[in-house]
Amino acid sequence: MKVPLLVIGGGLSGLAAAVRAARFVPEVLIIEKHSRLGGLNSYFYRNKTLYETGLHAITNYAPPGEKSAPLNRLFRQLKLKRKDFSFCQQQQSEVTFLGCESLLFSNDFNLLLEQINSKFPQCIDNFQKLLLFINSINPFLPSPFRSAKRKINEILGDKLLTDMLLCPLMFYGSSHENDMDMNQFVIMFQAIYLQGMFRPLGTIKNFLDHLHRHYHSFGGKLRKNTEAIKLLHKNNTVYGVELKNGEIIECEQMVSTIGLDETKKLLSKKVSPAQPRLGFTETIYEIKPEKTCSLPRDKTIIFYNNSNEFSYKNPDEFVDHSSGVICFPGNFQGIERKEVVEVRATHLANYTRWKSIASCRDEYLALKRRTSRKTVTNLENIVGSFNSNIVYENSFTPVTIERYTAKIGGAIYGSPVKVKDGDIGFKNLFLAGTDQGFLGIVGSMLSGVSIVNQHILAKL
Amino acid sequence: MTSEEVKDLILEIIEDIDDEADFENLKADAPLRDQLDLDSMDFLDIVMELRKRHQLQIPEEDYPNLATLDSCVTYLEPLLKDA
Ligand SMILES: Cc1cc2nc3c(=O)[nH]c(=O)nc-3n(C[C@H](O)[C@H](O)[C@H](O)COP(=O)(O)OP(=O)(O)OC[C@H]3O[C@@H](n4cnc5c(N)ncnc54)[C@H](O)[C@@H]3O)c2cc1C
Repeated sequence: MKVPLLVIGGGLSGLAAAVRAARFVPEVLIIEKHSRLGGLNSYFYRNKTLYETGLHAITNYAPPGEKSAPLNRLFRQLKLKRKDFSFCQQQQSEVTFLGCESLLFSNDFNLLLEQINSKFPQCIDNFQKLLLFINSINPFLPSPFRSAKRKINEILGDKLLTDMLLCPLMFYGSSHENDMDMNQFVIMFQAIYLQGMFRPLGTIKNFLDHLHRHYHSFGGKLRKNTEAIKLLHKNNTVYGVELKNGEIIECEQMVSTIGLDETKKLLSKKVSPAQPRLGFTETIYEIKPEKTCSLPRDKTIIFYNNSNEFSYKNPDEFVDHSSGVICFPGNFQGIERKEVVEVRATHLANYTRWKSIASCRDEYLALKRRTSRKTVTNLENIVGSFNSNIVYENSFTPVTIERYTAKIGGAIYGSPVKVKDGDIGFKNLFLAGTDQGFLGIVGSMLSGVSIVNQHILAKL
Repeated sequence: MTSEEVKDLILEIIEDIDDEADFENLKADAPLRDQLDLDSMDFLDIVMELRKRHQLQIPEEDYPNLATLDSCVTYLEPLLKDA
């Protein structure tokens, strides 16, 4: 069997790449190692309830009519119709550095402007300068790593404001310790502060099912539970893939979405020397709110830091509780209040430590419980008490993420080294998704689309 | 295809790409891009649709010929004369 395009990985970038190509050439094939689509943004069941693995909020909100907005361009490229989806915008979100300051922001950029004006009046002119600077940058031009942190601090002249503005952008899209690439900063600033956040009315499963049906309607094929163990190549040209069951699938073109080093390993190529990757834990609490419990109903996401110095790096301990993200998936506009509300929390975590105890099941589970308790204590300081109202909790570690997505070190944002043009030295194999450099749900989907546009379509 | 048919083909393709495209005041000799808010990604779709529907291979250096409705007709009519 020989396919015109083989896509490795059925995460959001792989799905988008495959839909884009299948629009013009059917018989595209996706192979996905797992039994479900979605990769990092998938779902699982516990006690007959569906839980989303990764969805806090989708960035890059745009109203339907704004044709040049990334979200709408993405939809046009995939021939998806906005009217087939109901999107719920965030209420408002907050960056809070405990004991220092807090800033609110929403999908109306004026809120952030007003907040900076009233809380950092000495910085408002510099903030306007920062906006001009952001506007002057084309973040899609390939360029070497430039420190965003240094430049922003230089423009704003205020370390606290710099760190507060960076905090959400780092948590939602930096694969670098304590810094961000300038281009990535501009992309994330636009995606989160200028455009804003939303989520679909249904679950990520509805969204993935819709994409899958759409792909199928163009003639695209999908094989789940199908792991590539070797990419077959000669003279910088790939000609197929060997599957775990020994089967060989031949192809003319290939897009890999599994990561840079992950792909190199399947090519039997040397991988670059290890650089620190960032792991995370995610904890989900189901809470039955009663009179005693007053969780905020108007906040969608809270990014917090409670140490003197905001640090975004691989922690020495298992979990870094000094900062994190708190998400209320029920607090989006137009979502009905449910009897049980969900609270999610994300923290930086040390993969190596979790890995070292993963084989001692009891110890691993006990530690998961302990860190989950510590997370509750930290969260209660910020959102009020809810501990006694928890009816269910579940957490996953970098080891869980590694197991379900095969990402090295369970690092959600992949390698700190990105390959912006997707070119890894092969004539007909290109990289899309996380390690191409666009992160998040909209980012990874745009990555799939743009790699297919740039390198694949003309040759199909 | 006659020049009218080529025109219709292009409009049909654009409508297919963007069902909200507004052809009401479209000027045939002005850039489609500005009038319809299309970007380079959308233009790639026009090229790919022409290939899918009429097996036309349009090389990248010829893309500027698709800038206006008139230039589309001038460029495509000879290529589609037997279509
Ligand atoms: C806890 C968490 C919260 C998040 N929250 C958000 C959020 O709120 N908003 C947002 O925009 N983004 C969020 N993200 C990030 C977002 O999910 C990712 O950036 C995006 O989904 C990446 O997509 P991808 O296709 O590049 O990679 P992946 O999703 O990793 O896709 C790669 C796929 O390849 C498969 N694969 C790997 N190896 C093989 C092989 N050898 N053979 C076959 N298949 C293979 C994997 O199983 C996987 O399905 C979150 C992620 C996590 C984990």
